Amino acid sequence: MKQKAPLLDTLLGLVAVAGLIALYAPLVAVAALSFFQITRVRGVMGFAPFSLEPYAALIANGEILAALATSLIVAMVASLASLVLALMFAFYFVSARRRFGLMMQMMVFLPFLLPPIITGLSLLIAFREIDFARGLATIIVGHIVFIVPVVYRTVLVRLQLLGGSLTEASLDLGASRVQTLVHVILPQMRPALISGALLAFAISFDETLITLFVAGSETTLPIRLWAMMRVGFVPEINALATLILLVTALITLAIGLLQRGQAERAS
Amino acid sequence: MQPLLHLENISKRYGSVRVLDGIDITVADNEFLTILGPSGSGKTTILRIIGGFEGIDGGRLMFEGRDLASVPINRRPFNTVFQDYALFHHMNVAENVGYGLKVRGRPRAEIAAKVADVLETVGLGALGARYPAQLSGGQRQRVALARAIICEPRLILLDEPLSALDVELRAQMQRFLKSLQRRLGIAFVFITHDQEEAIALSDRIIVVHRGRIEQEGAPEQLYRRPRTPFIAAFLGENNLIAGTLAGVQGAVCRVETAAGPLHATVDGPAPLPGSAVLVAVRPEHITLAAAAPGALVAEVVEIRFLGANILIELRHPALPDTLIKVRRLADGSTARLSPGQRLTVGWAADDAALLVAKG
Repeated sequence: MKQKAPLLDTLLGLVAVAGLIALYAPLVAVAALSFFQITRVRGVMGFAPFSLEPYAALIANGEILAALATSLIVAMVASLASLVLALMFAFYFVSARRRFGLMMQMMVFLPFLLPPIITGLSLLIAFREIDFARGLATIIVGHIVFIVPVVYRTVLVRLQLLGGSLTEASLDLGASRVQTLVHVILPQMRPALISGALLAFAISFDETLITLFVAGSETTLPIRLWAMMRVGFVPEINALATLILLVTALITLAIGLLQRGQAERAS
Repeated sequence: MQPLLHLENISKRYGSVRVLDGIDITVADNEFLTILGPSGSGKTTILRIIGGFEGIDGGRLMFEGRDLASVPINRRPFNTVFQDYALFHHMNVAENVGYGLKVRGRPRAEIAAKVADVLETVGLGALGARYPAQLSGGQRQRVALARAIICEPRLILLDEPLSALDVELRAQMQRFLKSLQRRLGIAFVFITHDQEEAIALSDRIIVVHRGRIEQEGAPEQLYRRPRTPFIAAFLGENNLIAGTLAGVQGAVCRVETAAGPLHATVDGPAPLPGSAVLVAVRPEHITLAAAAPGALVAEVVEIRFLGANILIELRHPALPDTLIKVRRLADGSTARLSPGQRLTVGWAADDAALLVAKG
């Protein structure tokens, strides 16, 4: 039987609540401030009434919209490319000899574990050495390097869970390798592929540090935000931060729902 | 007559471990062949070699006189029922069963008709739209079978398909498998570690032990005339009494033991007189009588009442390490037995098998 310690339980509860407040209060504040701007009338602080003005300003700002478009393109291309790469790596890992598989796995993970500033810097140097002009392509490459490990992990877990007998059963029934991949392996991996892609999208959408190094004239949304902060605080920043927060939260929610659905189906 | 399938002198290693050594097996058309062995004996490896999931390190695999070495899994005219069924969980029953036809590019109408037909054969007519997760263990088993027979293979490989089922369902599936095999007229190669299952199902049994074939033959032949101590102990229960071969007359052998001369039967060539041999006799084949001079007289050590049967354990003074087990129908005469009593133990020569003792 579970022992009851009401005092300890209450204390733990309080600590948890305090932790959550510390985590989420700044986020809530930013979101709130995007709707209720701070006003200063002769040194006295106050709140303006509810308005969507910062959002309107945001939409009217062509540079921000261009940055958003860049971010979306980068996130989409990078997450799709990562998905394909991660799948290939995962297939290699389950079929290759253990030693080679582990070596490949370490190489895939390294860029994710390295400080982003080092990854960014090395990419920058490499692009310069081979005379590759910085732009959309370099941003995408930088993001792929960083997000492949995440997708790889998600995909590999599922692939290992499938085991070899489904592949063997499919081949046994006369299917070719390609038919087995299309009709058996990929459909069974769909939840992992979707959540991997969503995760990749979310990470790419928010990535700043590596992007700073490899971006040329194109800038992504986080970089734009960064640039705006440097020249001075404008209300649009709150609105932009709130939007990014919302997109990320929605993606996280989607991944959570997907994984729950998967767990229910498996049981 | 040329066999359907012939494994010629096959050997297989995993690293430095030799898992199969000189395996020679033929499979005839329409035959229910069981490969029986304890776990780790190499029986599953044999099945995986036939299916094409494993390569071989020596020997040949011939199908109707053709070498299968260069024929990949998906081109072999065999289908497998896997131990864990390996059903495709994202497909419903009908899609699972029709998969083999679909990947061969058969027209939809033909697939639908055949799927309905095969589902009817395995008794799952109404469940085509269900998903594997919605089925019971026995039903999944039938789906796996249906999926394997739809492409009309020449041979079906079954890898311990009944091991995941409970006892009652197992017996039911055994009957079903046997009748299915008769109806289809396809050769079944069935892998199991369960000797009762093997005896109940098979036309022929091959017993594999430590990567080698220990003995093969019809179930009754194997049961009545085991040739090695391993078979004698693995298939049912046997009393083994050690001795020396004294003489052979026809098939009946006289064996000199510490307890006096005993007799047993040998099929095929007998070992040379003077060889160390064992007499194997089943507990149910031993008859009991009142003690008489010149016969094997033993003392009752323990009596175990098992309901319909009674198990009597006796010991002969000259064979202190051998407990002689006798199984009899429990009746009035066995009710009067008591420990310490001396009885004459005997058997017909035809009911005892002669084994060569392994040095």
